[in-house]
Amino acid sequence: MSSSGRTTPARTLADQLRGWPDERLVALLRARPDLATPAPQDSSQLASRAATRSSIHRALDGLDHLELSVLDALLVAGQTTPEGLISIVRADPQRTAAALQHLLDLALAWESPGGVRALAGVADAMRGMPGLVSGLRPSSPDAPGPADVAARIAELSPAATAMLRHVDAHGGEGTTGSARRTVSPAEARTPAEELISRRLLVPRDGDSVVLPGEVGLALRGGRTTAEPVDDVPDLATSPREPALVARTAAGAAFDVVRRVELVLDHWGVQPPSVLRSGGLAVRDLRALARELHVDEPGAALVVEVALAAGLVAEAVDADGSPAWLPTDEFDVWSGRPVAERWTRLVGAWLASSRVPSLVGSRDPAGKAWNALAPELSSGLAEEARRLALEVLAQLPDGEVLAAGTGIPSLVQRARWLRPRRPTVFADLVTAAVTEAAVLGVSGAGGLPPSGRHVAADDLAAAAEAIDQHLPSPVEHVLLQADLTAVAPGPLETEVARRLHLLADVESRGGATVYRFTAGSVRRGLDAGWSAAEVRDFLSSVSQTPVPQPLEFLVDDVARTFGSVRVGHAEAFLRSDDEAALAALVHDPRGRSLGLRLLAPTVAIATSPLDVLLPRLRELGAAPVVEAADGTVRVSRPDLLRARGRRGRRPAGAVEARRAAEVQAVATAIRAGDRAGSSRPATAESTTPSGALAALREAIEAGSTVVIGYVDNHGATGERVVDPRRLDGGRLAAYDHRADDVREFAVHRITGVRRA
Amino acid sequence: MNDGPLIVQSDKTLLLEVDHPSAPEARKAIAPFAELERSPEHIHTYRLTPLGLWNARAAGHDAEQVVDALLTWSRYAVPHALLVDVAETMGRYGRLRLEKHPVHGLVLSSTDRPVLEEVLRAKKIAGMVGTRLDDDTVAVHPSERGNLKQALLKLGWPAEDFAGYVDGEAHAIDLAEDGWTLRPYQREAAESFWDGGSGVVVLPCGAGKTIVGAASMAQAQATTLILVTNTVSARQWKDELVARTSLTADEIGEYSGAVKEIRPVTIATYQVLTTKRKGVYPHLELLDARDWGLIVYDEVHLLPAPIFRMTADLQARRRLGLTATLVREDGREGEVFSLIGPKRYDAPWKDIEAQGYIAPADCVEVRVTLPDGERLAYATSDPDTRYRLASCTHAKIDVVRGLVRQHAGQPTLVIGQYIDQLDEIAEMLDAPVIKGETTVKERQRLFNAFRAGEIGLLVVSKVANFSIDLPSAEVAIQVSGSFGSRQEEAQRLGRLLRPKTEGRTAHFYTIVSRDTVDADFAQNRQRFLAEQGYAYRIVDAGDLAAEA
Repeated sequence: MSSSGRTTPARTLADQLRGWPDERLVALLRARPDLATPAPQDSSQLASRAATRSSIHRALDGLDHLELSVLDALLVAGQTTPEGLISIVRADPQRTAAALQHLLDLALAWESPGGVRALAGVADAMRGMPGLVSGLRPSSPDAPGPADVAARIAELSPAATAMLRHVDAHGGEGTTGSARRTVSPAEARTPAEELISRRLLVPRDGDSVVLPGEVGLALRGGRTTAEPVDDVPDLATSPREPALVARTAAGAAFDVVRRVELVLDHWGVQPPSVLRSGGLAVRDLRALARELHVDEPGAALVVEVALAAGLVAEAVDADGSPAWLPTDEFDVWSGRPVAERWTRLVGAWLASSRVPSLVGSRDPAGKAWNALAPELSSGLAEEARRLALEVLAQLPDGEVLAAGTGIPSLVQRARWLRPRRPTVFADLVTAAVTEAAVLGVSGAGGLPPSGRHVAADDLAAAAEAIDQHLPSPVEHVLLQADLTAVAPGPLETEVARRLHLLADVESRGGATVYRFTAGSVRRGLDAGWSAAEVRDFLSSVSQTPVPQPLEFLVDDVARTFGSVRVGHAEAFLRSDDEAALAALVHDPRGRSLGLRLLAPTVAIATSPLDVLLPRLRELGAAPVVEAADGTVRVSRPDLLRARGRRGRRPAGAVEARRAAEVQAVATAIRAGDRAGSSRPATAESTTPSGALAALREAIEAGSTVVIGYVDNHGATGERVVDPRRLDGGRLAAYDHRADDVREFAVHRITGVRRA
Repeated sequence: MNDGPLIVQSDKTLLLEVDHPSAPEARKAIAPFAELERSPEHIHTYRLTPLGLWNARAAGHDAEQVVDALLTWSRYAVPHALLVDVAETMGRYGRLRLEKHPVHGLVLSSTDRPVLEEVLRAKKIAGMVGTRLDDDTVAVHPSERGNLKQALLKLGWPAEDFAGYVDGEAHAIDLAEDGWTLRPYQREAAESFWDGGSGVVVLPCGAGKTIVGAASMAQAQATTLILVTNTVSARQWKDELVARTSLTADEIGEYSGAVKEIRPVTIATYQVLTTKRKGVYPHLELLDARDWGLIVYDEVHLLPAPIFRMTADLQARRRLGLTATLVREDGREGEVFSLIGPKRYDAPWKDIEAQGYIAPADCVEVRVTLPDGERLAYATSDPDTRYRLASCTHAKIDVVRGLVRQHAGQPTLVIGQYIDQLDEIAEMLDAPVIKGETTVKERQRLFNAFRAGEIGLLVVSKVANFSIDLPSAEVAIQVSGSFGSRQEEAQRLGRLLRPKTEGRTAHFYTIVSRDTVDADFAQNRQRFLAEQGYAYRIVDAGDLAAEA
């Protein structure tokens, strides 16, 4: 792939793209997804889009320090051979070559007939990155050779040398003051004039002078920088047994799944309300943290991950006010094996733009961030997580981030890998590493096999890898005389559900401790169990005989259970005439009223009073309404559910779809190219996008075009121009007729054709 | 996954599966830093607390050992946050040190300057320290040694006390091991204490704490002040010391409400020390009456608050705390830690029982049903008299009679809370009764007669709860108690746990009225005993009669 474009130098970037094999084009569209949406018509449009300012900025953001430096060197050199470029970058030649190849693959540089060149917009985009790149200006078009420059520098007086170095160290620009612009070396009187006369400083408009790139190179020993640009910051690591890493990670994974389940089980019954600004109240978060035995950031992470996984959503609760509720997908999720539940969570976490680490801190306006708040997200979050995992995945097995110094060193590495990212990116990377540990993606500072699969987006393999380290479900508990039951591992769901009904949970973790109390046993009886059933269940799940005090407890509760009976009735009927009441109750015509005799003189009806009254009159009774109250309403907290987000697809499917799309886009571009090639070469581009593409092509190639232009008076004319820059809807171009650089409004250009 | 016997929960409890083959090893590994909370039959629960971790630090264990023990024995992965927390908590102990300075006397120093800055900035500490000597050291007035330690513990930065002790006035004390020897665990306990300087020895009732005290005195070879709960207990200490050591009765003084003697070894009651007259403690000077080389606190978990304040001033003297439990109903465990010292020795009841030094016990709860008339009276009574009504039902008396008959020939104690109930029982069984108004002399006579086997049945009120050695009791029948306090239960059970001849099992009956608050309190008791690992049975009074 690497040499494909080099053998036949292309006239323009579009030409070059046309010459690329399909797979290279696909790789480009994958690396710069913004080029593919919407699908460009043909390679010209693709090239044009690749040269737009925003797209270049995006592409630059993804470059590491070495790649940026190579690109910078390319700008300094102007147009050069790969060998020439490699010679001026202070780095390992092979790595420089690889970086250059990456830039070519990204279409940030291309191979013109005159040598490798950076894309036109890159120079603008690279400006204003002091500290990240060399700071050198481009070399002069007619730059003398390095030996020549060195000779000229050698001729200088000490004062002039000092001045030259000063200018180089301070941004490569200075003012000349009274120095004359046009002097010969012999006539030079001041150091400034010495420099100007030897073209070591080049005057620009006003009284400023700049240091041309070739001089800067000479001053820095023929390289763009004094320091090497390929020294990747080392990670601080320490050895750790891989088995321990895997176990620690699995422990954390198990914990996080359990916690999410606990939170949502709880919220299904008692949902916290949604703040008016969205998000979860600090009070609710605090309560949650207590319940989960974690700190508040930990609790925030749990709920944020649940949100990202679509297990919790905003909906209205029973009272009609907005609340955070588990979604129906939660029910599906809770029925899955632990490993699968975990991958769902971490997959969602990895791809999510949420920033749970901010919870508890304050935004610039001084307002505290709430968990689940809609604005708690960052476009960089996903990139930070993927980058952090990528770096962790590079650690060999048996080596983990050192405690303490490990994370800062990883952040340093992240800075090197993404120098153009804002400082907040470092915070996001730090948060990503901590979150990965809490979620069980990493363990003890290293990535176990399961974590490596997550980093590679292979969730199915991750589930398989972590499964062997997760506690296997147990079916039995140990019953003890102090009225506790201990499940020495995660219980089978069905057993757990039943035990949950009969006993209160006292302690959670790898094991669960349940305590039986009179209240909890009564709860079981309330749910329809009989004392015998409770005993049978207990002896069936216990490996040891049921302790005698527990049997006594069950029997005691059962003995008093139901001695008072409560029921539901809409109305009551009472009469001193027992016979009359019995007649009513047994009247077949009154069957629909649901009458039932409680005592000889009291009956109840399940029909409401307003139905009952006329019906009783029909039946020949003459009832009198005694009092409307006295009815009992039995209510039970309902399990509430919100509707989950629809149309979610597993991560693999998303990936497959994206691959298919990219392929389709590449095919479409090819089709456009074929159509374009069958058109006459001089065809005028009259569509706006075609015109733009043609103009960008001309900027790249430095060629002359004829544009149709509507002037201020509405008259259409043709101009012969050399386009220079296209930005903000305006074209700057050298107008052959006016012999000057003019600006043209793009919307007034009716067509573009080659001159 | 590891097949260990231990499960570490995220709420900092450790579950130990007792039947697991490597459980004993795991227990040994975690015992130094985890507090045993419950020990029922299958799974024992330990808890990690800051105090427990600091105790371990004081005993020379470091965080690495703790983490290693958890990782080695844990069946599942140990929550990472917990490990971090352990390391952090343990790291806090000993950052600050109380030391002797050749010039400035007592100083507080630190190797970690920010910590020192942090505590010096605390308002409470500011008043206790003197001038700043250098960046890492600040002078402390000797009288503030205890208060400072207490305040630092509250701030979460417990100081390690290296300032040493005064030797005190020398006095020859030797153990007189004629016909008996120090049991291995007693020797270990005394040695651990001595190596640690000051601290608490935790041994179950009946395990011979007095002997540990005597052994420590023999180590100290100095005048000793012993603080005990009450006068009877003081006499017992005296008898025991005379019997077990070279001390003669003349060398041992009693300082109580009745007698005020100050001798080389003085035994004082908490009560006399805390008696207040006109806003001052008139007997406080006892603490300075001699140059004590050792101070022994019996039943540390009962130590009244004023004694804590006094103890704060005694930090230059060696202090030995003896107790069956570190759990204080008032939650002042932290003060015991900072003022008396860290735990120096601990042995679980069951272990010592297994070694045959204390008797196994059979705990039975007998349920009686209130007769209908009493039930109605109970249902309609005031909440504050309900307990009394339920406790004192006549139905219980029949059961007591039945039990006494059943265990005829075995020394039996009937223990209760309400005097009239006790009187009634005593009258019916024709047995002597000991209650608050019984004179000390009479009490001693009765106890001695009981010990000698002259009396086979004794009815006692709660005065007998503490520190009265009734080694021969084989059966205890509890008819009422003070609202199911765990501590009381431990003490009453302790009465029975002295080793029995021929390894007989002790019986501990509790008679409870069904469906009343009495039964609710019995739940606490039952839980406590089951948690301590005792077999606990519940029988119906009717079935009991049939059994007999």
